[in-house]
Amino acid sequence: MRSITLSQAVNEAIAEEMRRDETVFLIGEDVAEAGTPFKVTSGLVEEFGTGRVIDTPIAEPGFSGLAVGAAMTGARPIVDLMFGDFLFLVMDQLCNQAAKAHYMSGGKLNVPMVLRTNLGATRRSAAQHSQSLHALVAHIPGLKVAMPSSAYEAKGLMKTAIRDNNPVVIFEDKLMYQDKAPVPEEEFLIPFGEANILREGRDVTLIGTSSMRQVCEAAAEMLAGDGISAEVIDPRTIVPLDAATLLESVKKTSRAIVVDEGHQNFGTTAEIAARISEKAFYHLDAPVIRMGAMDVPVPFSPALEDLTVPTPEKVAESARRIVAGELIHAL
Amino acid sequence: MPSEVKMPQLGMNQDSAVIVSWLKAAGEKVAAGEAIFEVETDKATVEVEAAADGFLAGIRAPEGADVPVGDVIAMIVDREAEVGEHESAATAPDGPAEAPPTQPAPVPSPAPEPNEAEVAAPFTTVPSAIAAGRILASPLAKRVASEQGIDLAALRASGVSEPIHAGDLARAHAGGLSILSARVEGGALAALLERSEGASRTALFAAFAASAWRAAVEDAAVSIAIRGLDGSITPYPADAGADAALSLIDLCDTRLDSFAPAGGTPALAAAREGDAFLLTLSFNEDRLPFPTAAALLDAIAARVENPIRQLL
Repeated sequence: MRSITLSQAVNEAIAEEMRRDETVFLIGEDVAEAGTPFKVTSGLVEEFGTGRVIDTPIAEPGFSGLAVGAAMTGARPIVDLMFGDFLFLVMDQLCNQAAKAHYMSGGKLNVPMVLRTNLGATRRSAAQHSQSLHALVAHIPGLKVAMPSSAYEAKGLMKTAIRDNNPVVIFEDKLMYQDKAPVPEEEFLIPFGEANILREGRDVTLIGTSSMRQVCEAAAEMLAGDGISAEVIDPRTIVPLDAATLLESVKKTSRAIVVDEGHQNFGTTAEIAARISEKAFYHLDAPVIRMGAMDVPVPFSPALEDLTVPTPEKVAESARRIVAGELIHAL
Repeated sequence: MPSEVKMPQLGMNQDSAVIVSWLKAAGEKVAAGEAIFEVETDKATVEVEAAADGFLAGIRAPEGADVPVGDVIAMIVDREAEVGEHESAATAPDGPAEAPPTQPAPVPSPAPEPNEAEVAAPFTTVPSAIAAGRILASPLAKRVASEQGIDLAALRASGVSEPIHAGDLARAHAGGLSILSARVEGGALAALLERSEGASRTALFAAFAASAWRAAVEDAAVSIAIRGLDGSITPYPADAGADAALSLIDLCDTRLDSFAPAGGTPALAAAREGDAFLLTLSFNEDRLPFPTAAALLDAIAARVENPIRQLL
């Protein structure tokens, strides 16, 4: 199978869906001529024209609100939010309008809109361009949240998102745009709410979202050297969350570590850990461990920034400790 | 300034402790650093020292009481004359919910013995199983223990350290086998085996066990079933009947550590651990009481350590 970059995978997904459905359009800053700062949408304006690939002024609330209205009236907009950090600017359009329109209209309106944005630190982009804010939107009923962990997921989830009749926020890791993965040439979609078991294991379940999947896979490889067999699972979408697959795995391994690049406090790791603790309590042989980003603004200093995110070494160390039966609560 | 005597936190997960005894009576002079009472936690009995100089007063918790950590159990007052003040507060019949009386007691008694019925009021003495503290075990370990009828308290008492995990429960398999082990220097026995040609190490272990049995269990010949790694069973002595009182397995030529067979017959396993021998005795306390089992394994270990004993 051919390998393509995550950028190319997203580009293909959008192009295929725009060819398939003429109501799909792309709107955002620098999406047309520049093809976004990450060169994800390059070439689309040439094929679909400026009527369907629309460059906007620097006005996130404006073009997001425009897209919500377009979606209510029959279009399928893809909103490009250049950095995930700009979510704060579109909170009303997204959380108060898009997420609730179907409910508030008694089911008369749908908002089939995709908001594609990014997450991820360690790009030396400082505190206002490095956040991973998916937990903010995952908290709001009415929004779906997809977190592709490779080019394959990026393509399959994007196509599903575009066809979904609800607003979907899709977070790509901005450090993974050039990472290649095998992606089939033929069409495929990845359904929402289906976690992917990447590696089977016996002793501990490592749950990693987005690029933390690779961190978990690397940790599992290290642990294998110590005789610890780790299972690695990528939830792929956190809303809806495939809790059944996670619970089944934890019931088998009796231990879990949840790894995610959002801040740890009140975050995605906390939600997943809580569900496991509630639903698999009597199967647990150790506390469920959360590993999120450090609860500080992301530092600009590279040396400090690198310390704020989970690494394979840190995940493996936590796994060794819970497998050894350390008294975690006293540490 | 009178200072409060509080129940100290003596262990990481301890939330209460039992007062074993008061080493000072109310009214007695105490010096900072002097032991004033003894408490028992789930691990040990500890003497607690006075934090200040003065006179002990207002003892609120009698011996045997299980007291939450941080609760005030007595006072240390500066002057002997203040002792009575606190004494009356502690023995007020209405207990702790009532505000302490504002008037000092008229006559301070020099060293009154606390009246148990009255001073016990603020605390309830809890049954020992609860007083011993909550057992730290994982949810899985608790569930499996409950399903298999394994007593986690007994497991802890047998030396399994907390928190108890599912893997630790294997030690409690086979319906309540108790396990004792001993690590013995092996130099003397190795030298003996080297010098005596044709001597069988397994037979020597059996002889040691038989002799130790005579010394520690009962003064009579014992029949031992020697289990082979191939599943065979050889009686020792050779003419012994089928009803063995002890089974023996020699694991020294393998990487195995110990073997605790199901069933009630005491079982001895011998294994190598570097230059030393690891002896494990698994037994059912109903059939072989713990003191006897301990004496037996100790006697066997003594013989392995110094084979000359066998000849005496």
